[in-house]
Amino acid sequence: MTDDQILAEVRALIIEIIGGEYALGLDIGMDTAFETDLELESIEFVTLATRLGERYGERVDFVGFLAAKDLDEIIGLTVGEVVRHVSSCRTPEGALDG
Amino acid sequence: MAEVIARGVRFHVQRLAARHRPHLLAQPVVFIHGLGMDNLSSFYYTLANPVAHAGATVILYDLRGHGLSERPRTGYRVSDSVADLAAVLDASAVDGPVHLVGNSYGGTVALSFALTHPQRVASLVLIEAHIPVPGWAEQMAATITGIGADLTEGELGRWMARSRKHANLAALGKDLIHHTTFVPDLRATDPVDDGELQQITQPVHAVYGERSDVIAHAWLLQSVLPRVRLTVLPDVDHSVLTAATPVLRTVVLDWFAAQAMTVPAGLR
Repeated sequence: MTDDQILAEVRALIIEIIGGEYALGLDIGMDTAFETDLELESIEFVTLATRLGERYGERVDFVGFLAAKDLDEIIGLTVGEVVRHVSSCRTPEGALDG
Repeated sequence: MAEVIARGVRFHVQRLAARHRPHLLAQPVVFIHGLGMDNLSSFYYTLANPVAHAGATVILYDLRGHGLSERPRTGYRVSDSVADLAAVLDASAVDGPVHLVGNSYGGTVALSFALTHPQRVASLVLIEAHIPVPGWAEQMAATITGIGADLTEGELGRWMARSRKHANLAALGKDLIHHTTFVPDLRATDPVDDGELQQITQPVHAVYGERSDVIAHAWLLQSVLPRVRLTVLPDVDHSVLTAATPVLRTVVLDWFAAQAMTVPAGLR
């Protein structure tokens, strides 16, 4: 699964969570920040992480991902960082390819 | 989204599986957030994932009327919060003792839960806990009423209306304050006395900010509880959880490591 495909799924989930009317006109890409660009509520981010865990399975270790970050880093997360995390967890062999 | 029905109310519950084997703690760690515009995300962003990563099963839930839990019109007494927690644990198939971590009003709930259900509590971490001393209920009700007025027609409301994120939180807060029994229920809280607090025999770690408006509650706990460790963080106010997250993480992880040492290895 490519990063573009994961991005498309993450984008669809975000739109579902924040509601289509708010998402109108939002261009959600890899550089989009959850806090400053999407104004995602903290509780909505929890929902997003849960839904992604359900979608991609236990190998997408959000506990480990978030445990390593401080509060400012979590608040400053971009869509791309989450997409790349999902991608790296799903294709461990990718790490060998560089 | 994980939901359980407890006492006829739908609660939003998040369960984080323990990483690292063997697990650090045999018992789950349950986080209880504060009042008003707070929800489980304040712990999810700060302590919950590090604790799960260290090797404990973590349970977070939104109090009734908060976050993604249902917002019934009634049932906001401390005794309701305690009964809700017991029912949420029952519905989550947790029947053994748990470690409780409460922030602000969440600490009030944790303490009261330990008094009501001592056999279900292994230890307590109380962060900026409000202790319902005589006069506390009236003061809290007045504070919350003031916040409600500010949200409805004051500067706070105007500021929060500027963004989708804050507007949603403000709408929830206003509904809770103006359209439920939240404030009168808070006002009706029975005070606890020293004799009751002395009955809490579980180990307690109390953490307060030096500049907290409830720092007097820290000294009370230190003087009354049989097994208490107190950490006062310099230059921090009531917002310990978000303002001093790194040091709080260390305090909490060290605390659970110490609790693990007190449990026979075979039970971990």
